[in-house]
Amino acid sequence: MRDSSIKRSLGVDLTRSLKESRVLLVGAGGIGCELLKNLVLTGFGEIHIIDLDTIDLSNLNRQFLFRHEHIKKSKALVAKEVAQKFRSDAKLEAYHANIMDAQFDVSWFESFNVVFNALDNIAARRHVNKMCLVANVPLIESGTTGFNGQVQVIQKSETECYDCNVKETPKSFPVCTIRSNPKEPIHCIVWAKSYLLPELFGNSDDEAPEVDSTEDADNAKEIADLRKEALELKELRQSIDTEEAHQKVFDKVFGKDIIRLQGMTDLWKEKEPPKLLDLAQLQKESDSIASTVSAQDQRVWTLGENFSVFRDSLNRLARRLKQLQETKLPDQDSPILTFDKDDVDTLDFVTATANLRAAIFHLELKSKFDVKQMAGNIIPAIATTNAMTAGLCVLQSLKVFQDNLMQAKMVFLERSGARAINSDSLKPPNPDCPVCSRLVVPVEIDPELATLEHLVHDVLQLELGYGRDISLLIGDRLVYDQEFDDALPDKLFDMGIKNGSFITVKDDNESARVNLDVVIKTRSEPSSEDSKPATLQKMVEIPLKPKQPAQPPTDDAQNPEQPAPPSTDDAAVTGKRKREGSDDDVEPNSHDAKRLASASVPDSNGIKAIVLDDEEEGAIMIDD
Amino acid sequence: MTDAFPAALTGPTSKERKYDRQLRLWAATGQQALEDSHVLLVNSDGPLGQYNTGVTGVAGVETLKNLVLPGIGGFTIVDPAIVTESDLGVNFFLEGESLGKSRAEETCRLLKELNPDVEGYYYVKRVEELLTDPDFLPQHKLVIISGPMRRSTLVPLTQEAKQLGIPVLYLHSVGFFSTFSVQLPAEFPIVETHPDPESTQDLRLLNPWPELVAAAAGLNNLDTLDDHQHGHVPYLLLLLHFLEQWKHSHEGNAPSNYKEKTEFREFVRSQARTSNPEGGEENFDEAAAAVLKTITPFSLRSSIREIFEMDQCRQLSASSQDFWVIASAIKTFHASHGVLPLPGSLPDMKAQSADYVSLQNIYKTKARQDVEEVTATVRHLESQLQRQTPAIPDRDIEVFCKNAAHIKVVLGRDIPQISIDSDASTLKTIRNELGVPDSLIPIFIAMQILDSVVDEIQSSSREEERSVDDDALWNSHTERILALLTGADGSAVCQEARAQIARASKELRRAEGGELHNISSLTGGLVAQEALKVLTRQYGPLDNTCVFDGARSKSEMYRL
Repeated sequence: MRDSSIKRSLGVDLTRSLKESRVLLVGAGGIGCELLKNLVLTGFGEIHIIDLDTIDLSNLNRQFLFRHEHIKKSKALVAKEVAQKFRSDAKLEAYHANIMDAQFDVSWFESFNVVFNALDNIAARRHVNKMCLVANVPLIESGTTGFNGQVQVIQKSETECYDCNVKETPKSFPVCTIRSNPKEPIHCIVWAKSYLLPELFGNSDDEAPEVDSTEDADNAKEIADLRKEALELKELRQSIDTEEAHQKVFDKVFGKDIIRLQGMTDLWKEKEPPKLLDLAQLQKESDSIASTVSAQDQRVWTLGENFSVFRDSLNRLARRLKQLQETKLPDQDSPILTFDKDDVDTLDFVTATANLRAAIFHLELKSKFDVKQMAGNIIPAIATTNAMTAGLCVLQSLKVFQDNLMQAKMVFLERSGARAINSDSLKPPNPDCPVCSRLVVPVEIDPELATLEHLVHDVLQLELGYGRDISLLIGDRLVYDQEFDDALPDKLFDMGIKNGSFITVKDDNESARVNLDVVIKTRSEPSSEDSKPATLQKMVEIPLKPKQPAQPPTDDAQNPEQPAPPSTDDAAVTGKRKREGSDDDVEPNSHDAKRLASASVPDSNGIKAIVLDDEEEGAIMIDD
Repeated sequence: MTDAFPAALTGPTSKERKYDRQLRLWAATGQQALEDSHVLLVNSDGPLGQYNTGVTGVAGVETLKNLVLPGIGGFTIVDPAIVTESDLGVNFFLEGESLGKSRAEETCRLLKELNPDVEGYYYVKRVEELLTDPDFLPQHKLVIISGPMRRSTLVPLTQEAKQLGIPVLYLHSVGFFSTFSVQLPAEFPIVETHPDPESTQDLRLLNPWPELVAAAAGLNNLDTLDDHQHGHVPYLLLLLHFLEQWKHSHEGNAPSNYKEKTEFREFVRSQARTSNPEGGEENFDEAAAAVLKTITPFSLRSSIREIFEMDQCRQLSASSQDFWVIASAIKTFHASHGVLPLPGSLPDMKAQSADYVSLQNIYKTKARQDVEEVTATVRHLESQLQRQTPAIPDRDIEVFCKNAAHIKVVLGRDIPQISIDSDASTLKTIRNELGVPDSLIPIFIAMQILDSVVDEIQSSSREEERSVDDDALWNSHTERILALLTGADGSAVCQEARAQIARASKELRRAEGGELHNISSLTGGLVAQEALKVLTRQYGPLDNTCVFDGARSKSEMYRL
């Protein structure tokens, strides 16, 4: 028997429940490939795998289901195909899609016994976390950076969720720092990557996530000037494939623009103003430099070398763009080039121009190797850490399948320290968590008929007993309150509310209820005669907001859906995709953050504390 | 560093791009070391008799997978086994069509598909036969052995590897448990230990060199600076400046104890301007925060002193390894300056960019001078010793200087066994560990009993053969191992410890010596991680035994 060893060690019952299970694997990258293999060989019945990414050369050092010939193909589809080849009896389903798409709604999540997160970015992690909370499906969350890894089991109302601790979000810089007043090398790199390159070769209207261009009174004029500057640069695109292009670009961004900045004397009162580079001198120096210098990526180039690489990479990019333009079909969009840390031409261009700018502003120059890491937000990744992390994910999921959450752990892999693997008990939910402490109720609507009034009147007021003084928000956008009721007759569907949308209900009364999230489910069949266009799917009791200070009332002790203090900050509704991290990255210091956060959790306020008894662990082995 | 790769004309090679994510962990030198390595996997030693399935070797194959992916030069699998149905259930690197074929050949073929840069070979025989060729073992940089393996094979293999200075990893993965041990050469030096960046900072505030003193002396006009300049003086210079003032009022002595250092810290803090809109200055906060850590005279760590005192460092010969020649030169440097070469890196701090860069240059220049001095000593030693080997590369000397405060020499130990020849200290450590609550050592002991049981089965004649789950066999070998452990009769082991060992043994017997794929995959990650450290000679390798308990998701390391 092929699975005899599984049965011997896991026992008949667990083996059977694994065989009958249906699990979702989000991410077919480093951890995902390992997980897929382990799940198949541990006897999980049906495995759905989703990933929107395609395979890149730099994946092959660890994502072992992929080969050279798979580059540029869908990770999810290739992973399925290769794993299927090894295990023809496995039941696998693959989606080349974004997990944040609306088609993957709450009821879809509900169809799984367990969800495994093997993702590389915070936005998607948060989304899956939230969906699993709403769908009440256990989530095994994991991540790695270099030699470090982490596995966490998340179960609604029982454990901390992904958002119970504040996560570090990718850093962003004010637009004026990037464009007018760089103070660190990274500012020049972001300038080259997110401003110069897109203006010359890309789609300059795309806003880069790392540049914060919020306008306020202080910088309004500056931002207007910068727009003008950008426009001038865009004009250079016309002549980008000519001999003199590099000279024109240089004169513009390292000449004219710098002279304008020098004139802003306020900026240079207390620091050295930017200094112009000597073009003739650089040209002379660069004449004796071979274009192969760009291959030396560990060493910081001289100014002349940077100039030489700038000129050379500009030409290379211009040629590429021209070629794309010439082969473009009439109905295609104009071709663009975008930064990719693994695309040598764009990396050379960003390194050289960032360094020239750094020299102008008296900042440190960086090697190409370093620029790649800084611009690409590269997170080191190797096969070994992924193998360990994926193995730990499966071990934790076995506890979930045994209904033995009390024995599940938070597990860390650390290079330093006396052990390779450390574990910690799971913490109870953070009562102040903006995500898992919220109440969510499903409301079913008929998309053809349901209006905002149906929701407010029939569901919120009649069924849930809200008063008149409430406000409704979609994300940060206010759609209704007592004074602002114009939208009442509008159809929800026309307001952009679809299957899976969330609407936040705030009670503005004096003795107010906690905030409520309504999750919309659209009816697949038209409403019958007697059913209302919007109906509550599950009755819930909505507790009151705690009185100051934020201590939940004790008489709610019986209610497992614990109230949370109000929070207007809806960190979870973030549809914007930030794919900056490279591979299944974990947040630095989240370990410590967790400890801090959990230390403040009071244990006598009615929260169902998880009592873990270490003496009794190790009960995973079941006698047949 | 780029020299290590014959870089193509157009930029990083596709190889560099493929390995980019790991180059950030061990750099081109580590990668080159991997590519120069050929690894031997001894994945079974033949069947465990007619009643048993034999060693399935999944953890061995998974380990190899994690080495083939990052690009070792090549591997050889030695395994006489034939693929069975039970192999197919646990080993991902076998296909349906592999049934009945050589397991060495099939796993080799499928592992090779993972990385076309890696060469793979296999032998369908017992390793004993291969060892008769004296040229066989020396071709390898590392030997990985999948246990349990009979002693009559294991001992000669590990002993020959020891004589050749080839590291060995001996691993077991059975049911929910796994264990593995590393056997390193008698002295295994590591230069690039990758310490925590925090601990590598050496700012020399109490031993400044003239250029640094000069930079701080430029601060005499501190009071005349405007608020912006005052708030942007790098904290290093602030500390040097105030140290001079302190020394003036303290008979030329720097603050030396905790009390004085706190006084000095308060003094620094009191010098910040608070009349500005921020009500304080960040650079002064940084300076105050750094006092306790940085106002410390240089002292040589005892681990480095021990290395300097080792015979290999004191008595160089023409055949001394590069490591010891450089270590000796560094020792000379320390003897004449009282400090180690300056690493030269500077922490981030509040400062104007131009000031920061010039301060950075002062540190870098000094570091370069120190490297030059050490290099001169090395060259002198090389000619004095009349070494036949190629000159030590400049880069190695530079890297050594940078890491001088964190170098490490691991003293290799044999693969630990509970046997008549066991080291007394090994047995003592195990006995002590048995008294520790929640210790994983009972799992190690149970694996030793399994080894012993397997040894008997493999050396029995066919008529006497028994199952791996035979009660009588387990009982007798448990008593035998416990007796060896206590040096007398097994009753010296307390009831509680016996019960723990029995529980661990029960899990091994339930699994009938078989593997769970998930545990073996995880173990393959752990073992390969150690293999990478050993092959790249970077980071600190396991010294020397790791035990993993999958039921508790917990691992422990022991020096046995």
